[in-house]
Amino acid sequence: GGTIKFGHDNKADPFENPAHACTAVFSNILEAGTNGSVDVEVFGSNQLGTAAEHVQQVRDGILQATLTSTGALASYYPRIDVLNLPFAFADNSSTYEVFDGAFGTALAADIEETLGDVVVLGFPDTGGFFAVTNSKRPIADLADFEGVRVRTMTLPSHQKIMQALGAEAYPLAWGEVYSGLQTGVIDGQMNPVPIISFANFAEVQEYMTLTNHLFSPYTFMINRAFYEDLTDQERTVLHHAAENCVTASRGISRIIEASDRGLAGLMDQIEVTALTAEQRKAMADATQPVFETHVAENLDAKAGELLELLKTEVSAANGNTYLD
Amino acid sequence: MKSWAGNVSARINAVVEAIVAGLMLALVFDVWLGVVDRYYFHWQLPWPEEFARYLMIWAAMLAVSCGIAGREHIGLTAFVDLLPKVLRRASLIAMDLLALALFLYVLWYGIPFANGGASRQAMIFGTSLRPYYAAIPMAAAIASLQMALVLLRDLGAHSEPTFEEDAV
Amino acid sequence: MIWALAAFVFLILFGMPIGFAIGLAGVVGLIDMGGTQFLAIGPSKIFNGLNIFPFLAMPFFILAGEVMNDTGITDRLVKLARVLVGRFRGGLAHTNMLASVFFAGLTGSATADAAAFGRTLVPAMVKEGYKRDYACAVTAAGSIIGPTIPPSGLMVVYGSLMGVSIAGLFAAGVLPGLVICLVCMSVIAIGGNRENLPKALRGATLREVWQTFVSSLTALAMPVIILGGILGGVVTPTEAASIAVAYALFIGIFVYRTLTFRSFYGMLVRTARITGVIFVIIAFAGILGWWMSFERIPQMIAEGVLSLSDNRYIVIAIIIGLLLVVGMVMDITAILIILAPVLVPLTENVGLEPIHAGIIFVLALNISLMTPPVGACLFVLSSVTGEKLERISLKLFPFLIAEVAVLFIFAFWEDAALWLPRLLGFAQ
Ligand code: NA
Ligand code: NA
Repeated sequence: GGTIKFGHDNKADPFENPAHACTAVFSNILEAGTNGSVDVEVFGSNQLGTAAEHVQQVRDGILQATLTSTGALASYYPRIDVLNLPFAFADNSSTYEVFDGAFGTALAADIEETLGDVVVLGFPDTGGFFAVTNSKRPIADLADFEGVRVRTMTLPSHQKIMQALGAEAYPLAWGEVYSGLQTGVIDGQMNPVPIISFANFAEVQEYMTLTNHLFSPYTFMINRAFYEDLTDQERTVLHHAAENCVTASRGISRIIEASDRGLAGLMDQIEVTALTAEQRKAMADATQPVFETHVAENLDAKAGELLELLKTEVSAANGNTYLD
Repeated sequence: MKSWAGNVSARINAVVEAIVAGLMLALVFDVWLGVVDRYYFHWQLPWPEEFARYLMIWAAMLAVSCGIAGREHIGLTAFVDLLPKVLRRASLIAMDLLALALFLYVLWYGIPFANGGASRQAMIFGTSLRPYYAAIPMAAAIASLQMALVLLRDLGAHSEPTFEEDAV
Repeated sequence: MIWALAAFVFLILFGMPIGFAIGLAGVVGLIDMGGTQFLAIGPSKIFNGLNIFPFLAMPFFILAGEVMNDTGITDRLVKLARVLVGRFRGGLAHTNMLASVFFAGLTGSATADAAAFGRTLVPAMVKEGYKRDYACAVTAAGSIIGPTIPPSGLMVVYGSLMGVSIAGLFAAGVLPGLVICLVCMSVIAIGGNRENLPKALRGATLREVWQTFVSSLTALAMPVIILGGILGGVVTPTEAASIAVAYALFIGIFVYRTLTFRSFYGMLVRTARITGVIFVIIAFAGILGWWMSFERIPQMIAEGVLSLSDNRYIVIAIIIGLLLVVGMVMDITAILIILAPVLVPLTENVGLEPIHAGIIFVLALNISLMTPPVGACLFVLSSVTGEKLERISLKLFPFLIAEVAVLFIFAFWEDAALWLPRLLGFAQ
């Protein structure tokens, strides 16, 4: 038994974002299923520190659980970078299959082994695929990226992907992105659709392309010592709760995408371009070899193995049809 | 003892000031480079933004000890100034000791913090985070040393008004 | 909770520097939680509390101010102000206030404003015969115009945290920013006799005005260049401060030729020292703030106070009061992150427009920047000018009352608060 102090980076409202939807479902099932012997206290909005600090606090046993973004996990576990394989997934349902399947299991095991002091319970949705916005021109083909200056996180793989597309990539602090887009310090940026919506980038951007080039889930991790102190019965409920947390994150992400706070709302403020299969193929061909070289040069052999497994699993999932 | 402590404090401070000035200059150039790169060179350097933050932390944290040496850290002295001289000095010495304890705390836990950065990768220059995290224990060590020295130098007499202040 | 609070009050009372007192209070909180894993969090909070790029605006504007003073750029601007408004009582104080409005278009941060003016206009005012504490108070009062008139760092944080239109918040800030300027100028005028503000013996002739104008052209170009850099998309508001440094250096080296390597070294050191004095407070506030968040103290206070009423005006007044009180002891970004998610839903319950609620929050938190004992603008001014915190606070009092009054007017009078956002189509 005990209390799980659970930190995440989003607003504490379950209908607002996948992170809190996930934690709300998790605590409900866990508290009910253990008859209150395990309870959950959620700290949203990064009030206990940045996402990277949350990871450290879980490792140190100050927090018991967190949902951490790929970028925040990268400094502790550089191999997470393999998830940045661009233009991999054909649609959202493929991401479910891959992260619930053999790749998700292998990634979780490798994170647990590398960090040593956490248990990975799943990979909840952060809000869906990345899109690219800009104020220069509608982007549909590789040539349209020419000379567009795009803000990325300070993440070498993100920079290289943008450069391979033909854009210029500059890291800029998050707090400066809105004003940077407004004044034209940079022309564009890339993020999942709900973040674009919430950060109000449509106010200062004219075009959005649904490139769907990246999918970056949360990693749901819990302190290992805490986990091992639970009874078998509590652990069983915990895993059920975690699975439902992941499901809830996916459900709310799709709902947000379809609502005024997602694509439906953005359509009124920004010109949206969706890519054809050929356009997307051309972008995949331009970026994937660059990304694979990046992994080979900057990460170890184990990362190479994970990347191969990811590619196999993704192509299987992309080929599958629901209930077929 | 008092003048010895004052001299050592001043000498250490002169060295720290030179380092801090160098870091500030590097910081200015770093941010300029980021701007010029984006606007003119188009090298798309990945590091100026992150490196600027680390330079700023190193410079500001090291400068904390300079502020201690010069008694520049802001406090409210209205109440202690009302106390009789002996009590005032005693309480200011006690405050110095507590401040020393604070910086020793930061030093004590700062060392494992910085070492923890060794297993974490910075996004720039392919290094670990240790050299950047080391700003905290290093600054705390120098601040502790300066705190001890100015405690000996002033022995609680530092809030007593000088002629200059009376004239204002 | 009681122990940390008691430690804080006790230490500050007995003359411990505020930053260190905050740090020790935080450590007392961590000890109270029990377990060394909590004590180990301190260094991480210090590092991460400072690991924020927009904080750079402060040291850069301090450095730009240093260079401007040393090279004589400041003097020329002051001369110009004197020939223009010097015949009025308190001319330079009014100049300070107006300059804050212009500066507000360049920067999104009050501390950057306080740093730049504390280093330039305060010494100029003292030279002119103003008391230093009064000059600091005028500068502090004007500094909050910076993050009220766009751009504003705080509005960007609020907008993306609460999902409110940032452009709408920017629009909502323009009118309160101008009104604050006017109201503060009235306070200066009313207090002119009591403060015995200086005035020139005679007005300047047109010829003198022209000559001064021409000789200050290089200095006047500076804000133009910074603004051009921002609006032209060359620099972000944070980086703009580095352009200010570059231009001041260029003028000092090549035009006035007064800058020496030796004096520049001194400026770098002073800038770093002042930055260290201010940043150590922010850093240690990170420990105290983390402990308070972990123990859910702000939420407990908020929930307790807010169960009192559901009348629209009373709820607004309680929220403002709460923000101002918590703002006396906590850093405003931390308050925003912790309290906005608790308080904003209540404003929805009493029917406040999201942008209206946002501007109330932003104004209240901006005012908190100059309430003692924890007020970042006060720290900046105290450390760049050497004036005592309590003396600045005393002279600041009438301005503070006036600005809180402005806040209440815009909080209660929705049509005024939403006039510009509605005109531009951001609110219903
Ligand atoms: Na502004
Ligand atoms: Na305050």
